[in-house]
Amino acid sequence: MNDTADADNDADNDADNDPDNDGKKTGPARLEIRDLVVSFGGLHAVDRVSASVEPGTIVGLIGPNGSGKTTLLDAVSGIVAPTEGSILLDGDDLGDYLPEERSALGIVRSFQDCRLYPELSVQDTLLLYEDATRQVSVLSTTLQLPWARRTERDKRRAVDRVIASFGLERFRHHLTGHLSTGTRRVVDLASIVLAGPRLLLLDEPTAGIAQREAEAFIPLLQRLQEVTTSTILLVEHDVPLVFELCSTVIVMQTGTVVVSGSPDVVRQDPLALAAYLGASDAALNVTGPTRRT
Amino acid sequence: MIAVSLPSSVIIEGAILGLNYGLLAVGLVLIYRTNRVINFAQGQLGVVAAVFMVKLYYDFGINYWAALVAALAVAAGAGALSELVLRRLFNRPRVMVMVATIGLSQVLYLLTLLPFIRPKQLFRAFPVPVDWSFRIGTFIFPPGEVITLIAAPIVALGLAAFIRFSPWGLAMRASAENSESARLSGVWVRRTSTVAWTLAGALSAFTAILASPSQTSTLTEVLSPGLLLLALLAALIGGMISLPVAFAAGIGVGIIQDLLQWNITNSAAVELVLFLLLQLALIVRAASLQKGTRTAERTSWTTGTLAFRQTGQGLRKRVGTSGVVLTVVVAALLPLVLSVDRTFLMSQICIYAVIALSLTVLTGWAGQVSLGQFGLVAVGADITAHLGTGVPLLALLLLAGVATAVVSVLVGLTALRIRGLYLAVSTLGFALFMQTSVLATSCWNVPILHRQICSGLPDPESTLISRPSLFGLGLTSERAFAWFSLAVLIVSILMVRLWRDRGIARRLISVRDNEVAAGSAGIPVIRTKLMAFALSGFIAGYAGVCLAFATERFSTDTFDPTFSLLVVSMVVIGGLDSIPGAVLGALYLVGLPAIFGSTLSIQILTSGLGLMAFILYLPGGMAQVLHQLGDLATAWVEHLRGRGRPGRDTGPDPSPEQVTEAEPGAVAEVGS
Repeated sequence: MNDTADADNDADNDADNDPDNDGKKTGPARLEIRDLVVSFGGLHAVDRVSASVEPGTIVGLIGPNGSGKTTLLDAVSGIVAPTEGSILLDGDDLGDYLPEERSALGIVRSFQDCRLYPELSVQDTLLLYEDATRQVSVLSTTLQLPWARRTERDKRRAVDRVIASFGLERFRHHLTGHLSTGTRRVVDLASIVLAGPRLLLLDEPTAGIAQREAEAFIPLLQRLQEVTTSTILLVEHDVPLVFELCSTVIVMQTGTVVVSGSPDVVRQDPLALAAYLGASDAALNVTGPTRRT
Repeated sequence: MIAVSLPSSVIIEGAILGLNYGLLAVGLVLIYRTNRVINFAQGQLGVVAAVFMVKLYYDFGINYWAALVAALAVAAGAGALSELVLRRLFNRPRVMVMVATIGLSQVLYLLTLLPFIRPKQLFRAFPVPVDWSFRIGTFIFPPGEVITLIAAPIVALGLAAFIRFSPWGLAMRASAENSESARLSGVWVRRTSTVAWTLAGALSAFTAILASPSQTSTLTEVLSPGLLLLALLAALIGGMISLPVAFAAGIGVGIIQDLLQWNITNSAAVELVLFLLLQLALIVRAASLQKGTRTAERTSWTTGTLAFRQTGQGLRKRVGTSGVVLTVVVAALLPLVLSVDRTFLMSQICIYAVIALSLTVLTGWAGQVSLGQFGLVAVGADITAHLGTGVPLLALLLLAGVATAVVSVLVGLTALRIRGLYLAVSTLGFALFMQTSVLATSCWNVPILHRQICSGLPDPESTLISRPSLFGLGLTSERAFAWFSLAVLIVSILMVRLWRDRGIARRLISVRDNEVAAGSAGIPVIRTKLMAFALSGFIAGYAGVCLAFATERFSTDTFDPTFSLLVVSMVVIGGLDSIPGAVLGALYLVGLPAIFGSTLSIQILTSGLGLMAFILYLPGGMAQVLHQLGDLATAWVEHLRGRGRPGRDTGPDPSPEQVTEAEPGAVAEVGS
């Protein structure tokens, strides 16, 4: 009646009830970044960065403030357009894909500020991720066609499961804007599980969380990767956490990659130490053991 | 066909007109720079002073210059007072502050009716201090215009110098960019804001006093949306920041307007050109305009009004449902007992409520501020005027809805580039364009194709249509039509409720609240925005059909943009994103004035003052009150029950207490 753009979804939506069954690729994805340049005006926020993230690994991206880590994630998720270079997912150039199209390919992004949607309830926030994979047109919603009702019911069931397993039942009807940062992060993680990523981009998931809670993130993220069977690219300031969790660590400074390799290699690298810590490796070892008690 | 001529007299005439736009634009920029608000009361502040000046000059026989000083003082005081009232709104959603200034402008209008401001004789020439005049060709420029030509640039220069060389100018910009930082670095944000409003008030008085001599009656000068729009156009060309550019642009707009009117006899075409100019200014300026205000626009939506949307469980829900059922039953019985006039009023309230619902979807949920909803209603009504009873009513409703949805999406295309208050300006322009250009021209001659397109009202002055029948039942009687309108309202409410509860609203709100995150989550942002326009347009379109049939005889004035402002007011005082709020808002703003007659006190209560009181003291609108009433009723029922059956426990639902805290570690259990 009024949403022609959505109309083409009506026909094939019956088949969409099983999200794994519509020809989409499953399993962890391989990300490759080739000579990526992102400039704002004359400033190269990301300057000729090449990196590859192997399927099923957790790769950490560290570096001082303003080194271009978040911009790199923005480029991968399509929020900023690269000036030069290319980003490939399983060998396909992401090129002009819009953020929402990349999301359909299985790229899921969490944000540093974790603002989510202040005026949506927790339940609605989670349902949103179901909406993205199983779209129902306005027309069939308005007319309450049988499959529209069924889809909404299925969505709610999926969300109910996640709400229960994350212990969010108490917050179901709370607006996300009224939640504490920690709880909002949990909602964010719950939504990641719902989104079923193949490549997960996490931007400082421990920001704004107390140290003790941050420790819980190591098993949590490992578990998250197993559950969602995804590749994870993680931007994080908590260096010990990155070294503990990641199989590969990339160190960035002023838009370029200083060094990348296994945590052991990076830990020994003088350039990395200079770039990130600006001090001796003593700093690494000081924070390391204390937080793993 | 078009022989362009540029007589110097027309250019000077246009420049004089433009000086007024320029001064108005400077005032708008001044307030915008300080508070990030488009001040709809900018013109009206000065009108009060101008009217008061007439009173002083004629009724009290005070000398011109003394009267001028007094008038300026009144306007400056009115400006400062307005700032004091609006101050507590400055961290609320911008749309609310904007609606508050609309309310303020209505209050200021009412002030001009008060006996100690209103002059005894209304139709006397506005006083002028000198009698200079000059002529170019056959064109004589009267003293009033000569004074404008001299005084307006001086006033503008003086203001520019004040802003440039006094510390206040910098303070104003600082507090606009980041009011908290400005406070911490020692800027007196509040005092700065007061100074800006005081200046704006005095400036507005200058504008009105300079513009008044060319008008016959001061009191008729209620600032029309059209005039404000031209000033806004100039302000936008100045990027809402630059006072000199805004002033110069104002002069330019005046000259262009006069030249267009001189060369093109068809006033509709003039409006078309001005509308296109406005859209162009908005789109070209959009990027630079949004750079600074982005954060302000982003945070401005967290109203907290949704917090009480979730009706509780059990008894509370039953109380709510019984309330709704009772209301519907009473409303359905009303036409049987009401007089014909009142029955007609009931139809009108129902239709206005439907129009308000269309704005609930667009502004309340999708966050797109539209001041042009009556432009869309006009599309539906226009289709009705052309097709009339030739098409079955239900088909006509659907057809008008779909057609208006398409128009609405076209309007919405600008929203992809511009947002917030700029979209408001753009849509206001659209509504004005619909009224003065599309509807007012029955048929256009298309120059190249040599054909006529008859898209306007068949008779712009007075189009007459007869009411249709539905399922063989005539809707000619007011009673039948009231039932029909009520049915349309109920169906609309049910439809919008479905959208709210079954997945449409959450998509719209997600894009409003966090566009970037919503895109990354896989919500198609552009399509969702346009969907909001389509849904809203659909409702407005069939509401237009109903409005056309309800009034039976209508003209272009039926779709004046002021009605769009009225609808925005309804939604804001009803509760920005609440469905019952839309109905309550319509009941309040259409119902009350009609029922209690248009005495002054009721006008004050219902229009500006009531509006401002609601915005100031009830941010959740009437829906909030309704919800609290529901809670009270529930408590009362519980109390009654408790007395009847003491053993019964109606305590809170125990389930929320079982889970104490959300644990990050809980994810370990996920997997099946």
